[in-house]
Amino acid sequence: MNVMTAVVEAEGLTKFYGRRRGLEDLDLAIQPGEVFGYLGPNGSGKTTTIRLILDVIRPTRGRVTVLGADPKDAQVRARVGYLPGELSLEGRDRASQYLRFLGDARGGVPQARIDELAERLEADLSVPMGKLSKGNKQKVGLIQAFMHQPEFLILDEPTSGLDPLVQQEFLAMVREVRADGRTVLMSSHVLAEVEHVSDRVGIVRSGRLVAVEEVAALREKAVRRIELHFDAPVPPEAFEGLPGVRDLRVAGASVTCTIDGRPDALIKAAAKFTVVHLVSAEPDLEEIFLTYYSNEEEPNVPADRAESA
Amino acid sequence: MSPLIAQSLRDYRRTLIGWTIGISAFLSLYVSIYTSISANPEVYGPAALAKFPGALKDLMGGMADITSGPGYLQSVVYQLFIPMLFIACACTLGNRAIAAPEESGVLELTVTLPIPRTSLVLQRFAAAVLGLLAVAAVSFLVTWAAAANAGIGVPADRLLAGHTGVFLLGLFFCALTLTVGAATGRRALASGVAGVWAVGGYAVVTLGQSVPAIAWLKWIVPYYYYLDGRPLYRGFPVGDYLVLAGATAVLLLTAALAFDRRDVGV
Repeated sequence: MNVMTAVVEAEGLTKFYGRRRGLEDLDLAIQPGEVFGYLGPNGSGKTTTIRLILDVIRPTRGRVTVLGADPKDAQVRARVGYLPGELSLEGRDRASQYLRFLGDARGGVPQARIDELAERLEADLSVPMGKLSKGNKQKVGLIQAFMHQPEFLILDEPTSGLDPLVQQEFLAMVREVRADGRTVLMSSHVLAEVEHVSDRVGIVRSGRLVAVEEVAALREKAVRRIELHFDAPVPPEAFEGLPGVRDLRVAGASVTCTIDGRPDALIKAAAKFTVVHLVSAEPDLEEIFLTYYSNEEEPNVPADRAESA
Repeated sequence: MSPLIAQSLRDYRRTLIGWTIGISAFLSLYVSIYTSISANPEVYGPAALAKFPGALKDLMGGMADITSGPGYLQSVVYQLFIPMLFIACACTLGNRAIAAPEESGVLELTVTLPIPRTSLVLQRFAAAVLGLLAVAAVSFLVTWAAAANAGIGVPADRLLAGHTGVFLLGLFFCALTLTVGAATGRRALASGVAGVWAVGGYAVVTLGQSVPAIAWLKWIVPYYYYLDGRPLYRGFPVGDYLVLAGATAVLLLTAALAFDRRDVGV
């Protein structure tokens, strides 16, 4: 058992909506100070998990603790920041007014702190909330989640609707939270969004946690699509049989293939010729599912095995 | 005032201002017509009203003495329109407390604040009580001034008793919509239940009183406890009003317990 209390500890956590499975038998421990990426396609159970942790919905079976307390204990929620996946802001009140209310309800947040975050994210808080664009609503959501400097941040699809510059600023904010020793749980359906800041990722599919991995280990398993263009036609046999290279297609001066894990062998083989163009598509989660996890007969990997993998 | 109550009042603000203006304007307009009626009692007196069907008069509160001050106020307005307007305003607030923000998704963030669920329901209701109180108080003052001006001759305490009655009636229906909304999260269902209970109840205590098969239903009709004591004539019917307040408290308790038990936004 850990000396430190886990920030989230779930045991057999299960939620059924009527007969529809939302989440089944989730065993998960998130440790203090880590950034945990929670990955899965839409409707796989990410939001269900988050809403169970926050006591928005109640488990059918199993149990979960947050910061050592039952989620039903309202006081513990003052130490948590939450960005909902579908943040709803409406009405003619200004965002600044709504943020003051949320701050007061959580025990008070200095106005300077709100202004500082608004400046960082370039959010205009003087606009009536019903008139905010999707991206600006998301910024208001981020401000309210971060503003009271919670010990634990739960961010459901935090980067949706943000332009790339703001995404970078957001990732910097997450890194600062980690540097403070605070904890983050962030969900996404795209690995690329979380891999640069996460220490570990959990992959959930059809309501079951199929794996928990260190990000570095997951990247090794990721499938990458690579396209190489040379200044002259290349002999196909120069690329055949390279470790990790699959679906190889050599057509004149171009080579396309997919790669499991490290691209080292391919790069060394290509280096014998003159490369004029290289395209490496970011590995996406769906391809990891299709290749790595779809091979498993039983998708329900016990948590201990998954974590030691 | 707690942050949530203050925020709830901000949420309700526009609704409250609108209803206050509407109800007050309607009342002062109606009261100002009294001078022309009292000046011509032969035109509007019993003989003139005799030509209306009895059932219609029942619906409008008898219309027995429309040329007297209390009779004029009781007929039509304090009998039907003012209670109905208060109930409509109260149901709007009752829905805005839980069901409306739940359907729009705003409640998702509210329930994750460090506020226990039961307290959340009670605070949303407390803000609605304050709001309805403001509507009742302002409309009372406006009517009292207009009534004094028109020489309607209803003492202020009787008028206050009437406004207290519609306020309590409003609270009951506010708590009713809140309870259905808190238990199910569905605004349309809450409005439906309140609407059927209000309109059906009104029919029972007016038209239904001559039908023995349904006359007993008056005991579960909130309207009955407002109309029964004839507050504009006799002042505060304390017992009747306590029944309304007690029923509201029971509903509120139900709302808090129901909301504490269930999943939000599914």
